[in-house]
Amino acid sequence: MPLCSLKNIRKSYSLGQEEVEILRGISLEIQEGEFVALMGPSGSGKTTLMNIIGCLDVPTTGEYIFAGQKVSGLTDDELSIFRNEHMGFVFQNFHLLPYANVLENVLLPTLYVSGKKEGAPLKRARELLKLVGLEDRERFKPSQLSGGQQQRVAIARALVNDPRLILADEPTGQLDSSTAREIMDLLQKMGHGGKTVMVITHDLATAAYAERKVHMQDGLVSG
Amino acid sequence: MERVFNIFQQAGAAVRAFKLRTFFCLASIALGISSITIIVAATEGAYQRAFEIVDRFGPDSLMVLGGSETTRAVGHREKTITLEHVRAVEEAFSSAYLVVPMTSQGNIIASHRDRRLQTRVIGSTHDYSQAWTWPVIEGSDLTENDVKGLRNVALLGHEVVETLFGQESPVGKYVFVNRIPTQVVGVLASRGTSPAGHNLDNRIIMPITTVMRKIQNETRYINNFRIRFVDANRMENHEQELRSFLRQLQGTPEGAPDDFRIISPTEIIRFLVALTGSLVAFLGIVGVMSLVVAGFVLANLFLLSVKERTREIGVRRSVGAKKSDIRFQFLCEAVLITSLGGVAGFALGFAGAQLLTTMADFPMHFSWRAFAVGLGLSWTVGILFGLQPASRAANLKPIEALRA
Ligand SMILES: Nc1ncnc2c1ncn2[C@@H]1O[C@H](COP(=O)(O)OP(=O)(O)OP(=O)(O)O)[C@@H](O)[C@H]1O
Ligand SMILES: [Mg+2]
Repeated sequence: MPLCSLKNIRKSYSLGQEEVEILRGISLEIQEGEFVALMGPSGSGKTTLMNIIGCLDVPTTGEYIFAGQKVSGLTDDELSIFRNEHMGFVFQNFHLLPYANVLENVLLPTLYVSGKKEGAPLKRARELLKLVGLEDRERFKPSQLSGGQQQRVAIARALVNDPRLILADEPTGQLDSSTAREIMDLLQKMGHGGKTVMVITHDLATAAYAERKVHMQDGLVSG
Repeated sequence: MERVFNIFQQAGAAVRAFKLRTFFCLASIALGISSITIIVAATEGAYQRAFEIVDRFGPDSLMVLGGSETTRAVGHREKTITLEHVRAVEEAFSSAYLVVPMTSQGNIIASHRDRRLQTRVIGSTHDYSQAWTWPVIEGSDLTENDVKGLRNVALLGHEVVETLFGQESPVGKYVFVNRIPTQVVGVLASRGTSPAGHNLDNRIIMPITTVMRKIQNETRYINNFRIRFVDANRMENHEQELRSFLRQLQGTPEGAPDDFRIISPTEIIRFLVALTGSLVAFLGIVGVMSLVVAGFVLANLFLLSVKERTREIGVRRSVGAKKSDIRFQFLCEAVLITSLGGVAGFALGFAGAQLLTTMADFPMHFSWRAFAVGLGLSWTVGILFGLQPASRAANLKPIEALRA
């Protein structure tokens, strides 16, 4: 059974009178443990698709099944729980809370865990900070870190609730090539650890990390 | 439960992080709450003062003053009550345990050796101390024989003693009252000022007979009398009965106004509360208005804050915060700030009240009630005006918030 199964996903926005279709019938399967690169020209709908896969957004029509569970039709609260449990996001511009320190940022997803908490979140957060090499920066504010370090914090945050899917939208877009390589190495390490990873990128060097490349063009998957 | 606590902590962190917003919201709330605090304290103070005064006046007492209330101004009231009236009341009202006539004369010069003092002389019977529940702290009260014998004896008020005798004990010594040599028999306890601002300690009490005959050159009329009843719960009935009895006695025709005035404990309370009322009304309007203004300040600063923190909201939503979590966090932030404002306002009100008390001898009483009212109101403002910004934050679409 695939981890993600999308069937004929469409997404359209109404701009004034006009109805603009951004995703025009996408069918895609992602297997558990896969490392996928999503590529394509700007405006082709990559982010839109990733948001739907990550349950941040819902398709206009089509069916999306995640780990055997139908996602379409879930309420806003249920989607929130779904994201909290199964999804880890890494964004192009890091999106850390500026007034929280590194440790607090990593702990953020653990605050919204529903029901009983498994394990000690603080211990796990510290382990992850060690994993990304920032164990000595716990008390630093994001503004005191370099871009690469901020992205490592974001990766630790994405992993803290032990999600099944890591979604990274141009995670190296703001970084120089050597830092980008470090970040990709880290994501690859996650992939080898059994996580399913999906990365949007324009960069071929980045895409080279992926076992599978999905190309998008005008709201459709090509090849 | 843990989630609630977590979100509350997040709210606390935001309150600490966005200092300018916190400061302005807090300051505007504090201003409103401080005047509300003063109102509550002033109201409680007024009631407390009123009940203290009624306690001294005697909750079982009525005082009858000569002269009509409606046709004559205070101080120009003619004397319309005679000793015969008092005697008749004493006989007719078995429900009263004490009926004490009184007369008084101001602008009297009292002297002892080279010390002089302008004062007021009160003529009373031997029951003065009991009638006014006013203890004699040194010497003794006036006796029945003092009254019968028109003796030149006196009880001195605290200030009279201080002015004429200093630290010396006056008992047994002589003072000249209106040039009449008078022996001091006792000293009254200090009582301060009356609610109307009269100095109660500058007075000399002498037998009513002595005052009427030797000072006022008066044979019949007295200023007032005081009557105390056994059953303090029936004061309204007693007042009615006394009124119709006196009207009959004075031969007042039906429909004409009373030619006397009855002062009752309830009337004293009414007077005192009215005295405080104007300040309470003024501060009340100021307080409510500044709370509403504070509410709008809060709402606007929070709307700005929601705009400024759109990304934060998006991030929280992406890691699993529900709409309700976001709403709850912003509401917590609002209520946390207004609570701090409430506490600051209480402190401010407390300081302001101290100032009012020292400047204007205004009765203030701080209790948990003033604090509770202030805190309750600040919560109300926080929830009421925080709700809209909080809902706006909660209803942001995650993807749009992240793109901001
Ligand atoms: N809320 C929206 N309303 C209207 N149009 C939208 C909305 N969100 C996205 N779009 C449009 O959808 C198209 C696809 O956007 P999307 O962000 O998915 O592209 P992308 O492939 O991620 O591009 P890029 O590589 O530049 O990030 C764009 O033309 C964008 O303008
Ligand atoms: Mg994009």
